[in-house]
Amino acid sequence: MASVAARYKELQDLGVEVLSCSVDSKFTHKIWQEVELSKMVDGGVPFPMLSDTGGKIGSLYGVYDVEGGVNVRGRFIIDPDGKIQAMEVLSPPVGRNFSELVRQVQAFQHVRKTGEPTPAGWQPGKKTLKPGPELAGKVWETWKIGD
Amino acid sequence: MSLKVGQVAPDFETGAFVDGGFKEIKLSDYRDKWVVLCFYPGDFTFV
Repeated sequence: MASVAARYKELQDLGVEVLSCSVDSKFTHKIWQEVELSKMVDGGVPFPMLSDTGGKIGSLYGVYDVEGGVNVRGRFIIDPDGKIQAMEVLSPPVGRNFSELVRQVQAFQHVRKTGEPTPAGWQPGKKTLKPGPELAGKVWETWKIGD
Repeated sequence: MSLKVGQVAPDFETGAFVDGGFKEIKLSDYRDKWVVLCFYPGDFTFV
């Protein structure tokens, strides 16, 4: 969570609210914040740390590992209509890539605002595509990988 | 259960630690906002 907290402002600037969630109690979250997170990030974790004892929420999202009794690394981007736009689930040993999270949020926000789909690897300011009969079979003319 | 993109995120309400205190958080209270919901195995692990 520290890596998300450290770059939280980038998400705030995009109007994104972050909620983190583990099976730990809210009391454990408080102690973690006080003894460790606050030393890793200035001011500690600034967003709500949700307690999911028993993995009820994790089960709803398909990320609760019954055997281990924990939630695996699942990340969901939810739009203003409450709809899931993206999900990523990693097994515990590998951490996430924050930059890719920000890129996906920017792309989904762009699509919501403009209706223009974003091609692979799109970043703000890069070319988008307007789907239609005239584009079919001609993507190669207007868009190259890496554009 | 399996989730799909485009479907409404399952609502929930639970206790949370935020701003030095405890608070009940309900996902549906975040309607009209973009939300990133992050699960992780446990406190005192790297994420």
